[in-house]
Amino acid sequence: MPNEIWVLIEKARHSDNIAAISRELLGKGRQLADAAGTQLAALVLGSGMGALAERAFAYGADKAYVVDDAALAQYTTDGFVGAAAALAKKYQPALILSGASFQMRDFSAALAAELGVGLAIDATNVTIEGEQISAVRPSHGGNVINTIAFGAARPAVVAARKQSWPEAQEQAGRSGEVVQESMPGVEIRTKVTNVSPKQGAVNLADAAIIVSGGRGLGSPENYFKLIPPLAEALGGAYGASRAIVDAGWIPYEHQVGQTGKTVSPKLYMAVGISGAIQHLAGMRTSRTIVAINKDADAPIFRVASYGLVGDASEIVPLLTEEIKKRAGR
Amino acid sequence: MHIVVCMKQVPRDNSVKINPDLSINAEGIEQIMNLFDEYAVEEGLQWNEKLGGKVTVLSLGPEEWKEQIRRALAMGATDALLLSDPSFAGLDVLGAARAVAAAINKLGDVDLVLAGRNSTDDESGAFGPALARMLGWPQLTYVGKIAELDEGSKRIVAERHLEEQIETVESRLPAVVTVVKDINEPRYPSLLRIKRVAKVEIPIWSAADLGLSAQAPAASIAARVPPPPRAKGEIIQGADAAEKVRTLVDKLMESQVI
Ligand SMILES: Cc1cc2nc3c(=O)[nH]c(=O)nc-3n(C[C@H](O)[C@H](O)[C@H](O)COP(=O)(O)OP(=O)(O)OC[C@H]3O[C@@H](n4cnc5c(N)ncnc54)[C@H](O)[C@@H]3O)c2cc1C
Ligand SMILES: Nc1ncnc2c1ncn2[C@@H]1O[C@H](COP(=O)(O)O)[C@@H](O)[C@H]1O
Repeated sequence: MPNEIWVLIEKARHSDNIAAISRELLGKGRQLADAAGTQLAALVLGSGMGALAERAFAYGADKAYVVDDAALAQYTTDGFVGAAAALAKKYQPALILSGASFQMRDFSAALAAELGVGLAIDATNVTIEGEQISAVRPSHGGNVINTIAFGAARPAVVAARKQSWPEAQEQAGRSGEVVQESMPGVEIRTKVTNVSPKQGAVNLADAAIIVSGGRGLGSPENYFKLIPPLAEALGGAYGASRAIVDAGWIPYEHQVGQTGKTVSPKLYMAVGISGAIQHLAGMRTSRTIVAINKDADAPIFRVASYGLVGDASEIVPLLTEEIKKRAGR
Repeated sequence: MHIVVCMKQVPRDNSVKINPDLSINAEGIEQIMNLFDEYAVEEGLQWNEKLGGKVTVLSLGPEEWKEQIRRALAMGATDALLLSDPSFAGLDVLGAARAVAAAINKLGDVDLVLAGRNSTDDESGAFGPALARMLGWPQLTYVGKIAELDEGSKRIVAERHLEEQIETVESRLPAVVTVVKDINEPRYPSLLRIKRVAKVEIPIWSAADLGLSAQAPAASIAARVPPPPRAKGEIIQGADAAEKVRTLVDKLMESQVI
């Protein structure tokens, strides 16, 4: 049987389930494993997290490698990379899939370097054809789509962008084989002394719907009068162009674009945003894009699925009301 | 304290083309210092002002990158080093990190390496972690504040600014730190300083100087294409704003977007 496919499991932040990204990766991993005729294994690293293995089985894993150790209670690069590298050397998986959050980028890049194997970060697809593993990853603000061909060294390490694949469906009654492993003797050189929630954190990357505003809104007062209420009616988050972040209307956390966040929601609305290439870099892969701009020639209309030409101050309140009335929450 | 800042020169925007050999063609686009590296340089300078020692700006790239190295010198970096060799052209991130690690080992007395959280062209953020592993040093990524940096006790305390939380982390030195925008406000180089560094000699080390032998990359670019064009959109028509809004909501609901 060809070598296994592994998914690094993360716990959901606000429930006992595995995170959405892990369900996505198990869905993709299941497909790849079936096509290649191999097994899908969950990699569960943590302290007191063993129950996540059962959750991973419910979402399609055949097997789980579990390292349950107090040293893994907090994420540290040395702890997680040490454990994953030791298991990878012992069991020789073909592919290790993880998410591409900051923590998972920290992990996957260090793991690939530790093992001396190939890496694709922020991948949007993975394929296995015979012995050839490849990954697709955008770069240059989405203007270049790269296909990375992994060499013969295994495992291939792939950190995947969120919302690249549908989440696996839960299947009741599925079970699997648990392989308990002990923590290898690695030295953990960093120590986490405090973790606190970030003030005003906006996880734009997680949002299925984002409404962003730009300089065309005229003033911060107008931004806050129009944009957050529309985002709220849609059950989404609100973002911004760099122009208004630089102008101090709203914190950097909200900036979408080349030097802000890259997002790929189901629906992205750009209000009073011209569509500079650096802004497009952060949102052009959104599934549906709606642009509201008073200039019919604004470049944002070139990527928009639906465009509304007109004054945001007139259109947005109407839109918010209409959505509340018919589709909102 | 000797701080090395890894700096990459990148195109100002990403409207690049793809050459037939799959390399990136950024001709005609102004080159700038990678945004996050400006913050890394600034952080190096601020600690240098407190602790003394050296701040070396280090790039692995073609000779054209001297331009932004000079900018870092004009900001106040005390030393510069360019790693350049025809054989570096096809390096993947592991290869680049291996070469930079060799240079840092050759410098010998480095306490801290600062890099950006990611480059705005390649956008991977893998370089810092790869470099840390090659050096065998701890890594602290996405740092938005360095609270303590102590040469005597060889200790660093930093805040990692993650998506939804801030982690305070202690580590020994030497270490590799990658920085985010929250960390400081980069200075502009003064005209006087720009003039002063215009003719400074920037040393160049080749693969041979670093004792590097060719190694096959662990992964390579098999294809590079522009993104598929987006399906053509439509401008919503209507007698007035209210009608346009109704039509838009109809369409979004029909296609189950909302
Ligand atoms: C290295 C670099 C990195 C950058 N990174 C980013 C980044 O990450 N993100 C980013 O966004 N930008 C980035 N930029 C900046 C980018 O080039 C643009 O300057 C910026 O996106 C413009 O913001 P804007 O669209 O809000 O403002 P503008 O370009 O000024 O556009 C305002 C728009 O509002 C419209 N408008 C005016 N009044 C109304 C009204 N009443 N109703 C409706 N529409 C109206 C106008 O027609 C216009 O199209 C970067 C630039 C550089 C050089
Ligand atoms: N060729 C290079 N020379 C010097 N520093 C680099 C180079 N490539 C990447 N870096 C550093 O690593 C950071 C992350 O880059 P990347 O991994 O390409 O996203 C950059 O912000 C730089 O600080």
